Parts: sequence; structure tokens; C-alpha cells
Amino acid sequence: MAPVTEHQSSFLSRISRRNQIVSMDVNHEQELEELEDFQKHVAERFSELLPSDSPESFPVLSIQWLRKLLDVFQSIETEFHSVLTTNPSQISKPPLDKLVPEMLDRIVKALDICTAVVNGVDSVRQIQRLAEIAVTALKQTPLSDGSVRRAKRALSSLLAALNADKISGSGGGSGRRSTSEQWSSFSRRSGGSGSGGGCVSKNWSAAKQIQAMTTNLVAPRGGESSPIYIMSSVMVTVMWTLVAAVPCQTSNGLAVHLPLPKNQIWASAAVSISERIGEEMKKKETRCGGLMEEMQRMERIGLKLMEFSEGFRFNGEEDVTAEVAEMEEICRKMGDGLEGLQRRVREVFHRLVKSRSEILEVIDQHH
Amino acid sequence: MDEFESKLPVSGVKNHVFEACHHVVKALRASDNNLDANLRKLLSDLESHLSTFGIADTKVEDTGFSEIEVRFKESVKTILSWETNHSTILESGPSEADHFFQALYEVQTVVMGFKALPMKTNQKEKDVYNQATVALDIAMLRLEKELYDVLHQHKQCVQPEYLAVSSRRKDIVYDESFVSLDDVEVVVEASSHEDDEQISEFCNSDLIDPSVLPHIKAIANTMFACEYDQAFCEAFISVQREALDEYMVTLDMERFSCVDVLTMEWNDLKLNGAMREWTRVVKNISHVYLPSEKQLCEQILGDFESVSSACFIEISKDTVLSLLNFGEAVALRPCQPEMLERFLSMYEVSAEILLDVDNLFLDESGSFLRMAFHELSKHLADHTTATFLKFKNAIALNESAHPFPGGGVHHLTRYVMNYLKLLPQYADTINSLLENINVDDSIPEKTGQDVLPLTFSPMARHLRSIVTTLESNLERKAQLYADESLKSIFLMNNFRYIVQKVKGSELRHLFGDEWIRKHIARYQRDVTNYERSTWSSILALLTDNNNNSVKTLRDRCRLFSLAFDDVYKKQTRWLVPDPELRDDLHISTSVKVVQSYRGFLGRNATRIGEKHIRYTCEDIENLLLDLFECLPSSRSLRSSRRR
Repeated sequence: MAPVTEHQSSFLSRISRRNQIVSMDVNHEQELEELEDFQKHVAERFSELLPSDSPESFPVLSIQWLRKLLDVFQSIETEFHSVLTTNPSQISKPPLDKLVPEMLDRIVKALDICTAVVNGVDSVRQIQRLAEIAVTALKQTPLSDGSVRRAKRALSSLLAALNADKISGSGGGSGRRSTSEQWSSFSRRSGGSGSGGGCVSKNWSAAKQIQAMTTNLVAPRGGESSPIYIMSSVMVTVMWTLVAAVPCQTSNGLAVHLPLPKNQIWASAAVSISERIGEEMKKKETRCGGLMEEMQRMERIGLKLMEFSEGFRFNGEEDVTAEVAEMEEICRKMGDGLEGLQRRVREVFHRLVKSRSEILEVIDQHH
Repeated sequence: MDEFESKLPVSGVKNHVFEACHHVVKALRASDNNLDANLRKLLSDLESHLSTFGIADTKVEDTGFSEIEVRFKESVKTILSWETNHSTILESGPSEADHFFQALYEVQTVVMGFKALPMKTNQKEKDVYNQATVALDIAMLRLEKELYDVLHQHKQCVQPEYLAVSSRRKDIVYDESFVSLDDVEVVVEASSHEDDEQISEFCNSDLIDPSVLPHIKAIANTMFACEYDQAFCEAFISVQREALDEYMVTLDMERFSCVDVLTMEWNDLKLNGAMREWTRVVKNISHVYLPSEKQLCEQILGDFESVSSACFIEISKDTVLSLLNFGEAVALRPCQPEMLERFLSMYEVSAEILLDVDNLFLDESGSFLRMAFHELSKHLADHTTATFLKFKNAIALNESAHPFPGGGVHHLTRYVMNYLKLLPQYADTINSLLENINVDDSIPEKTGQDVLPLTFSPMARHLRSIVTTLESNLERKAQLYADESLKSIFLMNNFRYIVQKVKGSELRHLFGDEWIRKHIARYQRDVTNYERSTWSSILALLTDNNNNSVKTLRDRCRLFSLAFDDVYKKQTRWLVPDPELRDDLHISTSVKVVQSYRGFLGRNATRIGEKHIRYTCEDIENLLLDLFECLPSSRSLRSSRRR
């Protein structure tokens, strides 16, 4: 708050000082208003992501929900930039100016996360293709041993891929080809094993990157509502969520908790979403990416179909048309949504690049 | 199905199988396009068999079915035998291959035949069908393995040396030697690629030995016909993508994250190596490897609409995106002028390949890649332009606190001129980048002397402007000298250096004759200034005036010697590195000074007396040669004195 303590002796100077204070107050008030608006904006947009009964609400971590998450991110980002341009003091005056280099650093790390997520979505598309093979096989009428054989192959690769990080871990190319299945296409590329194809760089880890991004994410004293801090927190939350949802290069070991403030209005929706996701992670017992809602459903149905396939007998009575139809439906959702999701992430990448150069410009101009 | 039913005889359920086969054969014949020799043969065999069976003949029916059953069992045996045979079907020869495919088609026909039937069939037929599906699946899996093996074994190497290379461009290492290695040709980096690299435009090398293509195509057609197209594509994409990954490894193209690219220092060898590698790899990939890959996809999958381009994109996507990412990361780096050349070459390549990229990814499904390339090119263009403009800025801001010792050529001058020398090889690129950026030019209009359009290109104008900035900076640096003479020496040295660099390189056409002329005149003025500030007061001592007493003459002689010593002590430590300039200075100084002195001595030596004359004319002449040699300070004057 502006200090209003000085008193001058002369009457005139007192008058002029008061005028000064009033005008300072007015500017300051405007600033405060803008900051408050920003916080409200963040709170509102995030609350759109909370599960609700409205028809526009998608299940948390589903493809549509993830796309919405990115929309939310982008809209908050845009607001942040207008706040910056009208209040450049936000980043050029101490103590907030110290937050800036950290934020720039986080943006660069977020770029790599975006790259990893785009690759990760490709793994999901491969998983989708495996599921489609299983569907094609199980839709054959009449269902025969040959079709079920085919389905079993696809399902076992599917289930392996859905738990890819658990099996292959981060150990180089070991998970890529076991000798017996060396020539089976299905086991060849496990999503995110990180050697050669589909990786950001050697030894890069999504989980570690998120870790690095959260390390200094601490509110400066009295600065819990500073736009930079808010923006940084939002960015980290979004990136963390993406890494949790999509199988990325070595995303096992992902932190279950995010350091978000518990007492800030702007953060409450974000906190509850992150807690919800954290619970999912704990439930699944693996702290690796791949919590995408469609993938989870695929795993459940996949297991059922595998059980069916293993116990299949020609001329048997069991019927899995419902499950097969559900699997087909998930494949369709993936087919419709994944490419769009990838495109969004790439857009976010470019937006972050622009954002970074805008911040650098503001710094340049005010130093 | 109705039409089919009406043909059914009252007797014999086994007729169903015959009818089904017949039906299937007719259907297959109708879609003649995708049939290869094997299938056609099989169909005609089947047809001839079927036509020998009368429909109402029960006895014959039985034999007929059992014949089919026998053939079926044979086919299954053939297929099963291949399941455990690990050599490729291809290498076992065409008749074995034919045998396998025939067996497969037989099995498939049974499967399709059964499917076409209505539900009422007996258990035996159902079992046959079941067996057939298993055999079919085994065969499909075997073909998948076959595809993998054949593609692997008949892969051909793409020579990484087949690169389109711009003729005379050498690889420059920018390092400290840049500044000190002055007049020697700038170091050419030991490059692992020979200078006589072959130029190839769209060299479609065959990624796979062409002789095996028919076999692969047969596998494709078979698997597609049996609705195992997904498996075929997965396997094909997987093998080809792996091959591309390996190829990238042989090209030494490492992947870097954005964090990596931004944290490395501008002179980090890894970073510079990667940027250089990138330009080679991107060119190679777009001119050679990817067109070949696309062609291969077309050859194998061209018959199945849109499958070929979908597979091609899946195969190449990951590598292409990682290359694009590196480019984007580089465009995030600060606009450090030291990296200008690297940025220029990356931008140049990114612009060059746009047409190729547009051709490679023609479809809607590849549009995101096309767009990404165009975006990258734009980002690199902006970044490179900004860096170029910053170069001038950096020069302007280079402030010195102390005068440059010895008055020699300043590091900044060397740096800038050596750098500018490198830029003409990028003339086209730079001109296109600077097209719409105005700049103040020391030669605003075309004059009579300069007629080359080159001299008035955007790049030329900008380079001249950069040199003007350098000159202003040098003039500021010159003000740091307390000694007027040294100031002139400094300016003379540096401006001479600039002119020599321009004259001795491609820059001379860019800067033009008039500019050169003006600048020579410029440093000539500094020469004149130097001579005046050093010698005019000293030589004044030697001119005759009214006071001609012996004492005065002796005094003047002494003062001259002292002054000369002073100059000697100081100016032998100064440096005029350019030999021609040094010689000129020696000569003109010598002429002036020695002449004056000779005249003085000639007139007054006897009156002064030898005892009071420290130096002879020869002495002076010789000593003058030591000036600007940058001698170590302890060089003794006494060594050349007579007493």
C-alpha cells in the first residue's frame, strides 16, 4: 500500500502532497482492481474444469477435458499479458522482478514438456490402433479361434502399452524388443520408452522436469496474489496435469502433490482438481503418465476382453458385443480427439514462445 | 443372399459349401483389379473343380467335399510348416513362395465361403471354418514376420555423402583465433566431409533392394485382402521408422531439449556442431531420404487410397518434428552476433527446402508438417535479421576505458572486418532478409564510379553502415589518447586495416570503388596529421632564423637530439603492423627529417663543432627505421651512437 505518512509543514505543500497521494491512490486502485480481476478470471476459468452435471462438463482427464484445460490456460495467459502491459512494474520492480528469471526458465521447461506431450499423444494413437485391431478381430461373425488369437495378440500388446512405463521404465531400449516377439509389430514401440524415436532428448525425464519447475514455486511474502506467481502456478499445474494424463518420456516418479496455496481464491478450483488427479495417481499405484480417462477405460475393457479371449471356446455362449462396442466407441473418441489435442499442445508451445519474448521485451524496455 | 438360396437343391447340406465357393469365386473374379497371378490361378483351378461337380449328385457331393477337405488340410499343413521355418519365404524360391500363397488363398476362400453362408450349417463345416480361421491367422502372423525380415535383410544404405553442397563455402570455426589470426585465411574447420561431395537433386536412392518389392507388394495385397491391413501397416511403419532412426544416428544427429539449447554457451562446440549438422541433415532428409521413403510407400501401398501417405507420415513424423524442434529452440536463443553465421545457414536451409517439403506432404494429413516448416522458416528469418541488426548495435556499444596500447589495430576492428568478410557467401539470403529494412548509407546514390548493382544491394548498404558505426567507435576510442601523434597512428592503422580487408576480399565489389577511394584518403589524412604532430615542432628547431649565435645553434642541436630521443623512445614502441604503410611512413618521415637535418648540419655543422653533434645524418636515417617496429622498451639507443 502506498505510504501515506509524510506531513509537510506548510499548508500549500500539504495540499499538493495530498493531491499527489490521491492520484497515486487512484492509480494504485486501478492496479489493484486489475489484479483482482485477474485472480477472479483465473478462479472462474479453473472452476469450469470441475466436474459438474452440466452437459459441457467432461470427465476429468478425458481428451475433451484436456483440450478444455488448454483453452483455460491460453485464456489466463492472454489476461496475464494484458496485465503485464498495463502494469509493467509488476515485473520490473523488486521484489517481484526476482520472480521473472524463474518464470522464463519455467517457460522453457514447459516447452520441452509440450514436445514430450505431443510425442506422448502419438503413443496413445498407437494404443488406439492396437485397440482397433482387437475390435476388428472380435467383431468377426461368427467369432472363431482365429479371430480370438488375433484379438489376444492385440490385447496383450495393448495392455502392455497401457502399462508401458511400469515394464520398460526408463532403461534405454530394453523394453523395445524381447527376442521372442522381436518381429511382432505390436511390442516394438512402447510409448515413451525414450530411446531414439519419440523422445525429447537422451536421458530427459518429464517427471524430473516437472520437479524442477515446482522447486522454487513459492509465493513471495505478501505476493501470493501477484500475477507472476499466479501465472507460474497455473503453468506448472497445467504441465503437471498433461504429464499425468499422457504417457511421456519417463513420467514415472511424477510428484503426487503440487505446491499450490490453500488459502487463495484463485487457487481453490486448481487445488481440488490437482488433488483429484493425485488420488487417481495413488489409486493406479504407478506414478507414471497415462491417466487419460479413455486409456483407463480402455484398460478396464481390455482386461475383460482378454479374460474372455483366454477362456474362449468356439461355439461357446459368452458374448462380448457390448464391451466390444464400448471399446469401439473409445477408439472413435480417440480418433476424433487426439489429433486436435496434439494441435492444441503445439499451439500452446508457440504461445509460450511468444509469451517469453513479450516478457523479455517488457524487461528490456523498463531497465 | 436370396438369389443364392433359390439355387439350393433340396438334398445335401454339403452343397452349401460348393455354392459358397462358387459364389466367392464369382465375386473375386468380378473384382479383378487386385488379383495377382497366384489368386487368378487358384480361382481357375477352383472353378474347374467346382464345375465337375453336379449339384444334385449326392455321391459326387461327398467326394467333392472331401476333396476340398483334403486340399484344405494340405494347405493348413503348408502354413503350419512355415510357422516354424525361420528362413524367409522369399529366399526359398518362387515356387515355394507360390505354394505358400496358394495355401493361404485356399484357406481364405474357405473362411470367406463359410461366412457367406446362412446360419444353418453342420458342426463339421463349422469346425473346418474354425480351423481355417486359425490357419489364416497363423499365416498372417507369418507374413508379418516375413515382412519384417525381408525389409531388414534387403535394406540399402543411403550414402550420407550425397548432399547438395554450395560450392565454395568453407566451414568456419568462430573462436578466439578469429581475432588474433588476422591476415591469415580464417581457419577452415577440419570437416569430415570431403570438398568434392556430390551434388544430387532428388536423388531417389532405393531404400530397399528393388528386386524384393514384388514380394513385399504381394504380402501387402494378401494381408489387405484378408482384412489384416492394420497389422501390415503397423509392421511396415515400425520397420521403416526404425530404419530412419538408425539413419539419423549414422548422421550423428543428436537430440537436444529446449533447455539444453538455451543453456549452452554460444561457443559451445556441441551446440555449434549440432547447428551445422542440422543444416546438412535437413537438406539430406528433404532431398534424398524422405522422397525415397515416400516413393517406397507409393510402390507398396499405392493401390490402397490414402494408406500410402498415412504410412509415410507416420514413418517420418517423429524425426521431422524433432528436427523442427531443434530449429525452434535455436530461434529462442538470444541474438548473439557471434552466432550470426550459424543462424544464417540454418535459415538459408529452412527456406531452401520449403518447396520440397510442400511436395512431400501434399495431403491434408500432412498439412501440419508443412505449416510447421513454414513457421520455422519465418522464425529463423526474424531471428537472423534481429541478430544481424544487433551486430551493429554491439559494435556501437563497445566502449573502452583505456587507450589501446601501442596504437595498433584494435581487436574490435579485426573481429568486425573478419566477420564481414564471411558474409558475402550468404548474399542472396541476407539481401532477402534485409530487403525492407532501411539504413543510412554512406553512398546514398549511384555515382559515376560504381556501376555494379551489387554495390547498392541491401546487404551492401547495411555493411557499409556497419563499417561506419565501427569507424565512429574507433574515433571515440582515439580520443582516449593523450598523445596526438599516437591518436593519429591508431586511426591510421585501423582505417588502413579496414580498407585492406575490403580491397582484399569479396567486399570490394560490395563497397565499391568510390568508398575505397574515400577511405584511402581518410587514412592518408591521418598520416599527414601524425607527421605534423610529431615532427613539425622538432623540425622547426632545424630551420634557420635570425638568432644564429653558436650558442643558440648548439642549443638547438641539443634540443633536436633530445626531442629525437624522446620520439625514438616512444615511437619505437608503437606499432604499424601493415608493412606497406610502415614503409611509406618510414620513407616519408625519413625524407622530411633527414632532409631537414642534413640541411641544418650542412649549414651549421662546422660552427657547432663535432663534439656537440650527437647524430649524423646516417644515424638519424637508421634510427628512423626503428620507429613503429614495436620494439621491446629496453632497446638501447646507445648501440647506434658513436659516442
